[in-house]
Amino acid sequence: MLVSYSWLKDFIDLDQDPKDLAEKITRTGIEVAGVKHPEEGMKQLVVGHIIDCEPIAGTHLNLTHVDVGEDEPHQIVCGAPNVAAGEDVVVALPGARIAGNVKIKKSKLRGNESNGMICGLQEIGFPDNLVPEKYAKGIYVFPEDADVKPGQSAFAPLGMDDYIFDFDITPNRADTLSMEGSAYEVGAITDTPVKVEDITLKEDGPDWTKDFAVEVDPELAPKFYLRKISNVKIGDSPLWLQRRLWNAGIRPINNVVDVTNYIMLLTGQPMHSYDARAFKTNKLVVRKAEKNEKLTLLNNKKVDLDPNDIVITNGEEVVMMAGVMGGLNSEIEADTTDVLLESAIFDSTLIRKAALRHANRTEASSRYEKGVNWDATTRALDMAAMLLRNDASGKINEGVITGSSEKRQPVQIKTTISYINKVLGTDISSTEIAAIFSRLNFKAEINNDELIVDVPARRWDVAIPADLVEEVGRLYGYDNIKSTQPVLAETHGGYSKKEEAIRRIKNIVQGQGLIEAISYSLTSLEKAIGFSQEPKKPVEVQMPLNSNRSTLRQNLMTGLVDAASYNMARKQNQLAIFEQGRVYDFENNTYNEHEHLAALYSGNVYFENWQNNNEKIDFFYVKGQLTNLFLALGINTDDVEYKAEVIMYMHPTRTAGIYIKNKYVGMIGMLDRPVTQSNKAMKDSEIYGYELNLDVIIPLILNPHTTAQTAPKFPAVERDLSILVDQEVTNQAVEDVIKENGGKYLHDLRIIDVYRGSHIAEDKKSFAYRLTFLNENDTLTDTIVNEAITSIDSSLEKQLKAEIR
Amino acid sequence: MDLFDRLKELREKGLDEIDKAKNEEKLNDVRVKLTGRKSELTTILHSMKDIDPSDRREVGQRVNKLRDLFNAKLDDAKNEIVAALVEEQLAKEKIDVTLPGREMHLGTKHPINIILDDLEKYFIGMGYKVVQGPEIETDHYCFEMMNLPKDHPARDMQETFYIDSEDLLRSQTSGDQARVLEKHDFAKGPLKMVGPGKVYRRDDDDATHSHQFMQMEGLVVDKNITMGDLKGTLELMAKHIFGQDRETRLRPSYFPFTEPSVEMDVSCFNCNGKGCSICKYTGWIEVLGAGMVHPNVLENAGVDANVYGGFAFGVGLDRFAILKYGIDDIRDFYTNDVRFLEQFSKEER
Repeated sequence: MLVSYSWLKDFIDLDQDPKDLAEKITRTGIEVAGVKHPEEGMKQLVVGHIIDCEPIAGTHLNLTHVDVGEDEPHQIVCGAPNVAAGEDVVVALPGARIAGNVKIKKSKLRGNESNGMICGLQEIGFPDNLVPEKYAKGIYVFPEDADVKPGQSAFAPLGMDDYIFDFDITPNRADTLSMEGSAYEVGAITDTPVKVEDITLKEDGPDWTKDFAVEVDPELAPKFYLRKISNVKIGDSPLWLQRRLWNAGIRPINNVVDVTNYIMLLTGQPMHSYDARAFKTNKLVVRKAEKNEKLTLLNNKKVDLDPNDIVITNGEEVVMMAGVMGGLNSEIEADTTDVLLESAIFDSTLIRKAALRHANRTEASSRYEKGVNWDATTRALDMAAMLLRNDASGKINEGVITGSSEKRQPVQIKTTISYINKVLGTDISSTEIAAIFSRLNFKAEINNDELIVDVPARRWDVAIPADLVEEVGRLYGYDNIKSTQPVLAETHGGYSKKEEAIRRIKNIVQGQGLIEAISYSLTSLEKAIGFSQEPKKPVEVQMPLNSNRSTLRQNLMTGLVDAASYNMARKQNQLAIFEQGRVYDFENNTYNEHEHLAALYSGNVYFENWQNNNEKIDFFYVKGQLTNLFLALGINTDDVEYKAEVIMYMHPTRTAGIYIKNKYVGMIGMLDRPVTQSNKAMKDSEIYGYELNLDVIIPLILNPHTTAQTAPKFPAVERDLSILVDQEVTNQAVEDVIKENGGKYLHDLRIIDVYRGSHIAEDKKSFAYRLTFLNENDTLTDTIVNEAITSIDSSLEKQLKAEIR
Repeated sequence: MDLFDRLKELREKGLDEIDKAKNEEKLNDVRVKLTGRKSELTTILHSMKDIDPSDRREVGQRVNKLRDLFNAKLDDAKNEIVAALVEEQLAKEKIDVTLPGREMHLGTKHPINIILDDLEKYFIGMGYKVVQGPEIETDHYCFEMMNLPKDHPARDMQETFYIDSEDLLRSQTSGDQARVLEKHDFAKGPLKMVGPGKVYRRDDDDATHSHQFMQMEGLVVDKNITMGDLKGTLELMAKHIFGQDRETRLRPSYFPFTEPSVEMDVSCFNCNGKGCSICKYTGWIEVLGAGMVHPNVLENAGVDANVYGGFAFGVGLDRFAILKYGIDDIRDFYTNDVRFLEQFSKEER
């Protein structure tokens, strides 16, 4: 809502600096997003009277002489199509500054000296959408009633000397979507009395109520009043009214439409005027639209009406989308003589949805959706009627037709002074509280601690004691409330066990040099179900912004791959990134969220270096990082198993499922070639990664408890073992046999070499292991170790057909 | 030849040989020759019985003295040789210490999580529990329980991602308030919680809008919580995040789940309140929304609003990070450009 400072002065005595006042309003009530002073940045714009105006032959230009209040008229060349002798216009004198910081100088045009410029409104800062249509393509001409004199500043007559507050109104304070409401608010803030005038209307036309029928569904329009004004003469509104409209951000149209807009700005009550010719049926019906009904709106938009739109009809055809915008078929036109004037309240939700549905939000609809003053409906109607008589010389027909007139119970709130102080943490006296309610123009009765407040209908946001606390608090001043800390029984703060575990895990992988990423949870359906062992039922949103953000991810890897693609397209090929977050699915008839961890690596372990130590990231580097993570979490590596598996989007022979204690916890591997090859940036890169389901892992690592053990005192014995096995025998199979047969002193087992190649048979490979034996309580003898080795050897030979080398 | 002369001769020759031995091997040969079991000195000592008894004492003393001399000289020579070897080795091993080391990636936290962790630790220290709720939330908890009536604009399909008629991607973390309020046993003490997490809104992504972002909810409920407590709590938090010399102020605002509702501004850390483009020439930057818990929210969760009351606040973590680090495009948080992310490693706390 744009609130004019000079208009506010109609209601309150104000002498504050407008910017200081704006600050005060922001602190106490409504955020003032800005204060605009239209003349700012402009100078030497005066009123000029065009004495004569002759076309310059062979051009579209005119040579004018303009009285600008100086001894001699100024000769000015003007190209506007609507320039003519006798007009009062805006002249930028030589030395003037107009919009866009443009300076006006004396100049010569086609050999004619031009001492200044005759301005259009756009040239002096008016936005296009506020300029009255007839001046849209030319200079501005003051109307006859403007009462301007040559040489006077043009700022005041155009309202450019005003200060305009941009009220950023929260949904609860729609009462300030009117000048009267704003005046009450500013009056309360500045502790200044507010004068809001009522009117007594004298009707001077015939009684029309017997000849016209109105049918209203009160569910759709709880209040609906209609008046008829005859014999109007359509023309321009007086300048003072136009000024107020454009300073409020509304374009002046004609003296009828302007009045309805003006009254809406004044009272907050949206008004509508119909050409009475649209109601030859002598009937007006308020109802919901029917299927297939259509309407062309005033802005020429053709609308297919929805059965939930409220419409106004003449009993035969729709003439308005109620509360939103009128139809072209009932528009006030130049030859309109009789006007039906409507003041009504429509259901706020239906109006909001209609405006949204048809993408046609208006000043009226936005007021209806936030609520309007229940007490202003008929008053606004009468005020508009009076203005139509004044500005458009209409006759006000006798009588108001009431279509509906639902009553609302006045709001009375009972509370206590002590409750207000308790919530605010203050010690405000009952006298001060009484004063605050008097500033608000609320009737308040105080008996000792008891407080009874009658809330005027114009403040429909105030309904419960907590609302009164807010009114007192803000006017008392939040700055005046002392800052304290809650004095409470002691509470123990902290994370949940699960959150603690997640944080531990994140710290470890971060310590491994991984950069944390955060991706979008919403992705495409295809990506959402990729990278998993077996996709679950995906969760899709009903109205996605686009197909790339339609489905909740079931894996984090897809986000990291997107990040890899983005980075690699920017030549960042050395990547080590991770994400910890949730994945989502629908299973067992419920929506599920699981905490996951995923990491992605590409490039080399080290950055490029002079030693050419460029160890490439491979499966085993990433697996080693994962092993370190498990070790750090206290997971026994013997419990972890990797099984070659085929997983969507992962390399079919370089990918493993990871199992801990036989539970599937995730996967590790290389991105499948088709995934990288199809992406220009990732083409030819080997990208590795892993993804873990922390919901499975965390229960295994909760409550780690370490009972300290002294380091072994007896020496360990190391033996190396080299064997030849068939190609398809896995390391895991060999290790299993060794561990099973290594006896109780086998302390550690490590594979130290794998060989395939020319020195051995094609279908064979060689493994070398280092076995460490240790007896915690005694020195090991060779005999014991040899026995273990013999047992291992024979088992390997027997079970895996291994050849001991 | 006189035995004494012979000893003199041995002395000169021996010293000369020690001098000439330039490596450990040769020196060892000399040691054997001069002082070994088969050396002349040993032989002399072993044949004392053949010497004139009157000279025996003198000869014995001289031989021992000479052997001590040889040993001392041999040791010195050996030390010199070893020292020279070490010297040579060190010269070989010399490196250019100005050459760069091998670098690996430096792990970093995401900037939003730096802010989040900082806030969480701060509030944990103040006795708050960190509570996590579901991101796939019900209409009931996200809106109904939070005093947003059925026809509230936030509940439109246009504004919120609905999954079905009842389930949605939460557009605010406030649902966590309702869940915790329902479960909390006030007989066991007051409720103090913060609830961080991802939220989603049906906004097209641009420099200032993101369909996904992160919030943190705070809630304190007990019998005597005041707006002064809210003010004090928020002030301390703002100073913790934005600096001790920041000033704060509260302004009236509106949220369906609090009454009174306020927004908090922090004095602009760029211009210190003088006015600049970051604070839109107001000197103040809006940082969060807060208020006293609306009685309907308490009653909806079965908490007697006549007895209990409290305050709540909601922090936009993306916004905090944007303000704190001077980020001008919210999408930077989610494109995960490593060059952008790496710069925050020094911000870890």
